[in-house]
Amino acid sequence: MATPITAGAVAGEYMETLVIVEWRVGVGDAVNKGDVLLTIETAKAAVDVEAPDTGVISAIFASAESEVPAAAVLCLIGKDVTDVSYGDAPAKAAENAASAPQPYPVAPLATEQAPRTPAGGRIIASPAARRAARAAGIDLATVSPTSVSGRIKLRDVASATYQTAPLQAPNLSMGLPPDERGLLKVHRSGPPDGAPIFFLHGFASDSSSWYPLDRQLAKDHPVYRMDLPNHGSSPKRQIKDFTALVKDVRDAFDALDLEGAHVIGHSLGGALALALADTRAPRIASLTLFAPGGLGPKINSDFIDGIAAASRPASLEAWLKVMVSDQRLIDPAFVNAAFAARTQAELRSAQVHMGKTLFADQTQSFNLVSALHRLECPTRIVWGRKDRILDWHDALQAPGHIGLHLLEGVGHVPHLEAPDISRAIIRSLIKSV
Amino acid sequence: MTLMRYAEALNAALREEMQRDPTVFMFGEDIGRYGGVFKVSKGLRDEFGDARVRDTPISEQAMTAMAVTAAMSGTRPILEIMYADFLPLTLDALVNQASVFTYLWEGQVEIPFVLRTQGGGGVGTGAQHAKSLDAMVCHIPGLKVVAPATPADAKGLLKSAIRDSQPVVFLEHKLLYNTRGEVPDGDDVLVPIGKARTVLEGRHVSIFASSKMVIEAENAAKLLAQDGIEAEVIDLRTLRPLDLESIRRSIAKTHHAVVVNEGWTFCGYASELSATIMEYCFDDLDAPVQRVAMPDMAIPYSEPLEMAVLPNAIKIAAAARKAIA
Repeated sequence: MATPITAGAVAGEYMETLVIVEWRVGVGDAVNKGDVLLTIETAKAAVDVEAPDTGVISAIFASAESEVPAAAVLCLIGKDVTDVSYGDAPAKAAENAASAPQPYPVAPLATEQAPRTPAGGRIIASPAARRAARAAGIDLATVSPTSVSGRIKLRDVASATYQTAPLQAPNLSMGLPPDERGLLKVHRSGPPDGAPIFFLHGFASDSSSWYPLDRQLAKDHPVYRMDLPNHGSSPKRQIKDFTALVKDVRDAFDALDLEGAHVIGHSLGGALALALADTRAPRIASLTLFAPGGLGPKINSDFIDGIAAASRPASLEAWLKVMVSDQRLIDPAFVNAAFAARTQAELRSAQVHMGKTLFADQTQSFNLVSALHRLECPTRIVWGRKDRILDWHDALQAPGHIGLHLLEGVGHVPHLEAPDISRAIIRSLIKSV
Repeated sequence: MTLMRYAEALNAALREEMQRDPTVFMFGEDIGRYGGVFKVSKGLRDEFGDARVRDTPISEQAMTAMAVTAAMSGTRPILEIMYADFLPLTLDALVNQASVFTYLWEGQVEIPFVLRTQGGGGVGTGAQHAKSLDAMVCHIPGLKVVAPATPADAKGLLKSAIRDSQPVVFLEHKLLYNTRGEVPDGDDVLVPIGKARTVLEGRHVSIFASSKMVIEAENAAKLLAQDGIEAEVIDLRTLRPLDLESIRRSIAKTHHAVVVNEGWTFCGYASELSATIMEYCFDDLDAPVQRVAMPDMAIPYSEPLEMAVLPNAIKIAAAARKAIA
């Protein structure tokens, strides 16, 4: 049971707000009773808020320099980092308030739902799961639930699609993508301060593909993960050519107003990172390119066409396996997660269109070798020697001041296939700046 | 943009609308000389005089009936009820007069009347000065009800409410008055009634909230992010009429809904939201809608007990996890 920390009496008079001057602790820190947790500024003075108890900081709600109501909960002290509940308190309070009439069970959220079993053969499934099953022609009786409630959910149906659907010709109801306006979506995580990291994903992927790196790096760095147009939650639009795509990325990068960004790009995102560094050098502290595009004409265009169009988990799985060297990485859970992000037919057809534009005539139509030679910031190229999408020999065109890491037994996605080495390379590069 | 406190934003809206339209006037307890117990009407009596910023005796029932008839007579009254807990005293004028007169007179009269009040707990004001009675006023057809969470929305929505030809109940929160935020400049910057605001975008669960609960929902989103759960936070801003389109769009994306309201659970505003979502978004739901609201009991004076019963970020995060599980 976590203890909520408020400024309490030190905040001063009724109805005042306070400003957080500085946090002395972070999430995960162990604190002893009496330790100073943070400094606040009230109308009268700057004062310290001390820990009323020994424990671990399990959550922080207000950042430094923000102004919050005097009664606001500033952080929680729990037994450990996962202890963020003081959930049995409401029920106790209700028991104590014996005089209060209780026409309805108090705090229904505190009681866990009992697992459900089909009664009289009726199958328990969520409405969304039923609709998805109907659309895919799946008998719900063949689907096993994975939820705590025992109810079949959307994810279970997606998994069943993967297991039973026959391979069919991809549905290419190809129209031109819509022309949605607006900046590209950037997902932010990590602390407010520190050297920022800016991620650019590859074709037919999205910003969640940085998960193996993001979880660790976001502990020390503000992390920005962009979704390219026609990918993830970014707008869908017709991309005229590579230059237009660079402009989209640059606009969204400029809007973030980052200083000293460590830019990391994969595949098409690697080519974009190079193009970005070419025109935004003063704002970029380092560059890490995973299997970057744009260093040669060759590309596996069957892969580009196939992955963008894949409308079924089974066909997506086949192409995901081309991306990596160790096939065991592409397990059903991975396929389901990847497919869940691509269920929208409109997104897939927008990507098919984008692939045909950028890689017309089965060729990478953009060449960034000269940009690579102009680079001044510390740069590393990380490439798997088992890459079946782009040719790792392209890396050999890099000038001498750029570090090459050519990994044995790794395919097109080093940050997924060799996350520890990838992280170590990034960390050492950031440290060297 | 100007950095303002919520109370200052309301004050600016009142001042600008009174300057703009000579038929706008205010009355309520302690709003004139004293400037209002939360200082929302500070300085307005000096600027506009006793006739347009009137102190009244303590009789919410008489004050509300007065406001309704003043509105029928061609003025735009703004009535301040000091605590939402006193709303029951205004109900006859709302249920039997303000909300039905336009209908009874076949559209020949309009009731351009704003009832401002503030509710909510968290500062130890006990069972008679901390309630959220959103559901009580939202139950009445013919009334609009708004509950802004930010200074910008407080100003923009109050201006819209004053210019509206229907009666509007304007719900403020005592813990929001001192919060600060950027407010767009300009006398004619309005926030439309009936439009929600997406506070945070997320893919996994939608949290619908209003007023101070928006801040709790944002904190819940931070807790959920620690586990990689992306919550979408929607600030309803207007409680009635509901922005169904925004609700539908969000649930079509996340398939999971948590509805939050600081008022009581049973027959509460969260229940109304939950029922509406079941009716209009049923096939998009991947789990039952989760309600997070006040347990059905009196609000305790004791601070630890009050903290325990009020809806907060932790309860919202727990409800979101339960929906996704």
